[in-house]
This record gives sequence, C-alpha cells and structure tokens, in this order.
Amino acid sequence: MFNKPLISFTKKKSPASAELPNAVQVLAVILLASATTAPLMPYLHWQINAFLLLLLAVRLVGWRWPHTLPKLWLRVLLTLTGVANCLYVNHTLVGLDGGAALFATMFALKLLELNSKRDLRLVAILIGFLIVIQFLFDQALFRAIYLGLMLFIAVVLLANLNGGFSDGNRWRDALRIARNLSLQAIPLTLILFILFPRLTAPLWNLGLNSEQAMTGISDNMELGAISDLAISGELAFRVRFQGNSPPAAQRYWRGPVLWEMDGRRWSAAQVAAPIAARLEKVTDVIDYEIVLEPTQQKWLFALDVPLTAPADAVRNADLQLVAQQPLTTLKRYSVRSALTYQTAPLTAAQRLRALQLPRNITPRMRELVAKWRDRAADDWALAQEALAFFHREPFYYTLQPPRLGANATDAFLFETKQGFCEHYASAFALLMRIGGVPARVVLGYLGGEQNQLSGHWSVWQSDAHAWTEIFIDGRGWVRIDPTAAIDSARVDNSGATRLLGASQSMRFNLNHASVLAQLARQFRLFGDTMNAAWQNWILDFSAADQLALLNQLGFGALREYGLAVLMIVAVSLTLGVIVLALLRERVKHDPLEAHYIQFCQRLARIGLARKHHEGPQHFGQRIIQQRPDLTAAVTHFLAVYIPARFGIQANDNAVNQLKTLLRGFHPRQRR
Amino acid sequence: MIKRIIHAVKHHFYHWLRRVPIGNDGIARIWARQIYILPTSSGLMFGAVVMLMLLGSLNYQNNLGLLFTFFLVAIGLLAMHHAWFNLLKLAVQVRGGAPVFVGELATIVVTLRAEQPRAHYDIRLWHERHSVAPVHIPRGDQRQITFGVPATRRGLLHVTELMVETRHPLHLFRAWSYIICDATTLIYPQPAPHAPAPLTNGGATQQRPFPQQQSGADDYLGSRPYRFGDSPHHIDWKAFARERGLVVKQFGCEAGQTLWLDWSQLTASDPEIRLSVLTRQVLDVSASGVQFGLRLPGVIEQPAAGVAQMQRCLTHLALFNV
Repeated sequence: MFNKPLISFTKKKSPASAELPNAVQVLAVILLASATTAPLMPYLHWQINAFLLLLLAVRLVGWRWPHTLPKLWLRVLLTLTGVANCLYVNHTLVGLDGGAALFATMFALKLLELNSKRDLRLVAILIGFLIVIQFLFDQALFRAIYLGLMLFIAVVLLANLNGGFSDGNRWRDALRIARNLSLQAIPLTLILFILFPRLTAPLWNLGLNSEQAMTGISDNMELGAISDLAISGELAFRVRFQGNSPPAAQRYWRGPVLWEMDGRRWSAAQVAAPIAARLEKVTDVIDYEIVLEPTQQKWLFALDVPLTAPADAVRNADLQLVAQQPLTTLKRYSVRSALTYQTAPLTAAQRLRALQLPRNITPRMRELVAKWRDRAADDWALAQEALAFFHREPFYYTLQPPRLGANATDAFLFETKQGFCEHYASAFALLMRIGGVPARVVLGYLGGEQNQLSGHWSVWQSDAHAWTEIFIDGRGWVRIDPTAAIDSARVDNSGATRLLGASQSMRFNLNHASVLAQLARQFRLFGDTMNAAWQNWILDFSAADQLALLNQLGFGALREYGLAVLMIVAVSLTLGVIVLALLRERVKHDPLEAHYIQFCQRLARIGLARKHHEGPQHFGQRIIQQRPDLTAAVTHFLAVYIPARFGIQANDNAVNQLKTLLRGFHPRQRR
Repeated sequence: MIKRIIHAVKHHFYHWLRRVPIGNDGIARIWARQIYILPTSSGLMFGAVVMLMLLGSLNYQNNLGLLFTFFLVAIGLLAMHHAWFNLLKLAVQVRGGAPVFVGELATIVVTLRAEQPRAHYDIRLWHERHSVAPVHIPRGDQRQITFGVPATRRGLLHVTELMVETRHPLHLFRAWSYIICDATTLIYPQPAPHAPAPLTNGGATQQRPFPQQQSGADDYLGSRPYRFGDSPHHIDWKAFARERGLVVKQFGCEAGQTLWLDWSQLTASDPEIRLSVLTRQVLDVSASGVQFGLRLPGVIEQPAAGVAQMQRCLTHLALFNV
C-alpha cells in the first residue's frame, strides 16, 4: 500500500465549482434529450416539431459559443411562444396530444438552462417521463428497445454527474456503475411488474384513444374502402388454433354482415337481433384463441361460422359476434367454429330484406340476369352462371381499379371490368337479388399466415376481404366468393407488390415474387414472432393474469392484498440477496496466488495451517519438520512457487506446473 | 422562540446520534448501523417523477410504461443500498497536522482506507460546514486528505468529530456517518507585527541582537545531553566514540550574548498581546541564530539556539495558561 497525498483546500458549503458541469456532460445531456424526443415527433403537429428543432438549434449554437445562449428575458419570451404554439395547434394543454406537445416544448426549453449539474440531473430524470408519454402513443417492441437504451444512458449520465471517480476513467467508471445497477435492477423490475397490483378501471380519463383513427374494417362497405385497407401493413389479429388449422380455402374470418344497399354503399342498417341463430347441421368443429388489435368497433372476428360467443359478447342472428363495449384495448377471446354448417330457413321479413334493390339498377343489368335465368334451372345454377360470367369475361382483379362513375356497379360490370373484392361482392350480390335470390355481403378477412417460429397465425389488415352469402332453399345461407371466380391469369400482382412490398397478402401468389421480397417476408415473420411474444408477455399482462398466477401459488383467496404482500416480500428478499452478494464479493487472486492458497488450504485440512506471519519459505520448513513424509511434494511446490512469485523473471509456465503439482498433492492425516 | 425549540431538539438528538468509535488501533471503521441515509433534492425529484410515471401508466393500463417505471423504482432502491454500501467498512484515521499560528489554516490529516476488496467512490469529508472535494479510493488503497481548519485561538485545536459523506452512485441519496476522532493541532499565538528588542543577559542592557556567525572563536561553555534539533556540528563525536552517548558541546560568545525573552519585561497589560509580542521575539531571535531563553510566569526555558529551541518556546507560549 502506498500513500498518495491529496491536498485539498477548504470550501464553504455547497461549493459552486464542484457543481459546474463540464462541456462534454452538457453535450451528452443535449444529445440524449434530442434522441429521446425524436421518436415522439411523428405524433406531434409539425408546428410543434418546428419549434422543438428551433430550440435544439439555439441550444447547439449556445453550446459551441456560450455567449449566444438566450438571456433570461429571451427565455421567458421563448417559453410564452412555446405555450402559445401549443395552444394554437391543439387548442388545449391537457389531454394526450396537448399534454405531450406541452411537455416536449417545456422539456426542450429546459435545455436552454443547463447551468449546474442539478439542471442536468433534472433533465436526465425527466427522460423517464418523456419515455412513458411515448408509450401512450405506441408500444412496439423496437421503440421499447430504443427507449430502453435511452433510459440506460440517462442512468450512465446520472452516475457520471456524480463526483469522486478515479482520474481519467470517468465515463468508463460511470458506465460500469450504471451497468451493475441495471443488471441488479432487472430481477426487481420483473418482480414489481408481475406483482404490482393493477387498476381495473382508470382513475381519470383524458380522452385517450378517442380521436385516434384506427385502421380496420368499418360497418359499411363503399366501393374502394377495402382496397384502401388492403395497402395497410398493420396487424388485424393473431390466432392460435387448438389442434389442426383449417385448410386455406376455409380461412374466412367473419365480421359484419351487410344487408342494405342504397345504390352507393352497403350497410348493416339495422342491428340483427341478439338471438342465437339456429344451425341445423354442424360438422368440422374447430377451437381457437384470438388476440384482436383494438378496433374501436364492437364486433369480434371469428372463423366462419362461430358456434359459441366469448363471455362478454353475443352471437346474433347473422352469426356474427358482437362485444358489449367497443374494443379500445387488445382483446383476447376463445371461440369454437364450425367449417361446415347449415342455417335455418329465412323468415318472410328476412327474405324481403335480402331481396331489396337500390334504385340505380340499369336495364342492361336486368337483361344480363334475365338471360341467365332462362338457362338456369334453379337458384344455384343462376349463381353458377354469374360466376362463369366473371370467369369468362375479361374481369381483372386489381388493387388499383379505375375511377367509377355515378353508377358504380353498372360501370364496373360493363365498362371498366377491373375491381377489388368489394366490387365483385357488391356486383354479385346485386345480380343475385335481381334474379330473386336472397343475398347479402359479409365483411371480414380471408387467409392468414402461420408463423413457423411461434406457431401462431397472423391475419393482417391487408387480408381484409368481402364476400357474399346467398340463400338456397334446403341449404340455408351459402358462402360464395365471386373474387375466386376470376381467372388467375387476370390477377394483377404488380400493383400489390408495388404498394405493399413485403406486407402484401398471401392472395397475391408470392412464390413468383423476387427473392428480395421473400427475404423481406421472412424478416417480417421473425419480427412478428417477437412482437407476438412481446404482446403476450408484456403488453397484454393484466390484473386477471395476476390473479391467475396468485391462484397457482395458492394465495388466490387473498386477492390484491395477497399480491401486495407477495410483492413486498419478493422485493425485500431480492434486495437482501443482492446486498449479501455485494458483501461476499471476494478479491480475485491472480492464478499464482490462487494455487498457493489452495496448497495452504489442503495442508490446513490436515492440521497444518499456515500462520499469518509465516512466509512460504518458513511455512515449508515447518511442514517438512513436522511431516518429513511430505518433504518431496512441499519442496517441489515451493521450488516452483517462490521464484515465480518473488523472483525477478516472470515464469509463464509456473502456473501450469503448479497446477500439475497440486493435482497430485493430497496430504492425509497421520494415523 | 422557534429557533430555540429547533436548537433544543437538535441538541437532544445530537446525543442520540450514533457515531463511529475509534478502534484500538486508532482507526475508526464505519459499520452498518452507524450510517444515516436520506434522499437528496435530486432524489426527491426522482421520486416525484417516478410517482407521476406510475400514476400515468397505471391509469392508462400501459404495461410498457409500468415496466420502465418499475425499472427506475428498482434503480432508486438499489442506489440507496449502494450509497449505504459505499460507506460500509471504510476505515478513517484522523490526526492533527503541523503546528500553525493563529490566523492561518490548521491542518487535519485524514487517511481514508478501503480495507475491503472494493473501491469507494465519491467520499466527501465535512467538518463544521466545511468540505473538501470528493475523492475516490481504489480497492485496497488509501487516500490522504489534508483538511484546513481556520485557527482562531492559540492552544490545542481539537477535532473530535468529522462527517464522512457519499452520494454515490447516482446522487439520489446522501449517506453519511459521524466519525469520532481525537486529532489535535498545536496553534501558536499570532506573532505581533513589531516587537521591542529583547534583553541581554538577565535584562540589564537593551541591545539589539545583531546576527552574528557562530564561529569557532566562541568560547566553549560546557556540554549537555543531545536534544532533537541540535546541529550535528555541535555533537561531541569523540565523546560519542567513547560510548558516553550523544553529547552536545555548547559554545557561546561572551555570557552577555545570551538573550532572555521575559514576560515580566513587557509593558502591555493584555496577556495575549504579551504572548503575541513574545512570539514575534522568539521568531526574530531564532532567525538571528543567537542563544536565547524564555521566562514566563511559572515556566523557564533554558537558553539554547536552533529550530528545536524555537519550537519549544513557541509551544510554551501556545499552551501558556490554557
């Protein structure tokens, strides 16, 4: 041990110079704050973002040339401008959008005032709040990873802002301290996350989510609506089948059922009675679980057709699942469906509704159906005539149909002949009704792809689809997908590939697509697996899961109190383990020393413990005196150890020699 | 009134505070129950922000927000334990430094040692509202901190209590311990700016002691035992060779060249001023290299020359009637 004298001079309380940050620390805080604000910017109005960028520019210039930093009066002016800007854009300072804009502005303004380490610490601490605000907008995995990194850097900064480091290694020391803290924090974080009691209802509501537009199927169908949806790369829901999955041709996910057509759009018009529809015959039953993304709508999607309804939903007469509340959060539910079924006969009122025609039916549409009617023996044959028409005539299936005139259906059938699924479904249903066959349109999704990594199925918004059901006497409602009738040669792939890239639907034969697109697809599948696990384990964890866990542990009867007690006990235990581990931290001996210690320990075991004042030489002599039988072994060992440990020349081989010697050295107690 | 109550409460608790005692080897070792810990203002801010994050995340049932909030909660909890742990088993040794004059900074030398196989970060020392910059103590190593305390009174300056503090690792918590210590530094009286010339040989004549060389021409006055500080030139090496121990040969000019610095010869009425003047005289005379003695009421220091004599005399002056 040696003394390093360190002369310091006395300072009065709260020494000002020690609290002055250095330029690198200030820059680090500015960059961290900017990097954390950046992912929030897409959710803010451009005017707010422009103001934030202005402040950042002023701040960076002020870092390089400190005399240019705004004085107090200018900072006050900037603050007032910032608040006015927020008010002008959002008309409010509360609520999610208003609050986020105001906080981001104030946070950026604080950057202009980094005079002491205290200010820097405040900014580093507020990073946490800024991150939580962003999660109210989006909780994707990549954002979480990125912001987690930012939070870690904030901890490094806090450590760095503290004093008393070894000279020159300030950042490395801070990094090590923050790393150790974070590693130790992980088990505590998980315990708190799992066991901290959750609220089942919000304490207050700031109008979150209400204004955010959600992509998804709406409750009516206008021509062109689904093709808009189909270019969305977002997830609609995930499915996990129990047992076998249905064949590809049967993966119709049933949503709203539309009866009314006013010439321009299809709508449900009147809500079907929440009475269970009668099914005559049911086979091919399949069970599965769905995790539905928030839709802001009431209906739940189910494989065509559902037999049961989840707890807080009903199955109405249209064989559609309807929840009691609009879905504002992720919804997990289990359903049983039948792939083959037969519905009950129609009532007179229902038949009337299913035959209603809009006013804009043109004579050439009627002529077309009349021609088929002559040839067809019954309703089923009429439907086949219509499908043959779509197949025979040059109808194209494309995501980018040309604009249609005032009478969209007529124009589509006889002029443009290019459309997406809603065009075909709408036209087909109308033609059936003209021919006297009851018909309706069903919205939902078609398809889904299995993720080979996790085994679940994903259905994307780009899988949105519309098909029809016609009523055939004796068979009930029969699903007919007119889109499927189009000659596959006339399916236009290019538009989809260009618009969707990797996220295009399975419908567009991707096998012919480029290798790059395939790779991109694989990548998306992997990302989707990660997101599914993320959603399952983190985002979707709820009070119900907590209680289930508590039940498994046998504390179910204690409810929230049990949870709280369990949490406190678990946190205390973990902290205790960490502190004990810290206390038991041992010096790491160099290998030479470690072997010598082992040598001494083996001798101590037979009652020949080394005394504290004894060096290896004396110790060895004493052993030889007391146990002459060990002379050879001890002399050998020390002959290698002593020169290696105390000699001038380093001997790289000594460690190996000692190791070999130790292996054969097992002294026994003398009888 | 309120101040008096606060003072009384403080006084009351002052005796209840746990302090770190000095061990048998003169070193105080901080043990677990002697460490106090409270959040700093940054720590309170941290707590408030975490609370806000918790409320927001709970309210919006945002699990990701909760996850990050709990991470910060865990970091806070751990920071508290690490602050405590950073002081634990730190060895502190405090001793007084070299003597100084009133008006200067008395030094207290504090040795901080990391006896455990781990480093201690951000160790700050406090003594009565004075602190020094935080230091880092590598594992198994030690750091010496010289602490300045203003010397206001002559005599012995006792430092009986010191505070060791840390804000490691994140400056969110402040952990501290009170260390009992027994460090004394000698404080000499403040030298007067001017002093009258001292008396020669008992005080008959007032003669200014001119600096003169102690040459070989001086008369041999006799021998006396060696005292620390005597010049090696004056040691009777022959006597040493005859194994009669270290003996110093005393030379002098004529007897009248021995100066006496005498309390009773001074006119000032205030004893402190007299001591002050005497201090100045001791410094002046000692610088001239003349033999001198000191007479205080009840204390007589026989004449001698050299640094050691000066220190003896200054010590007498410092400790006179305290």
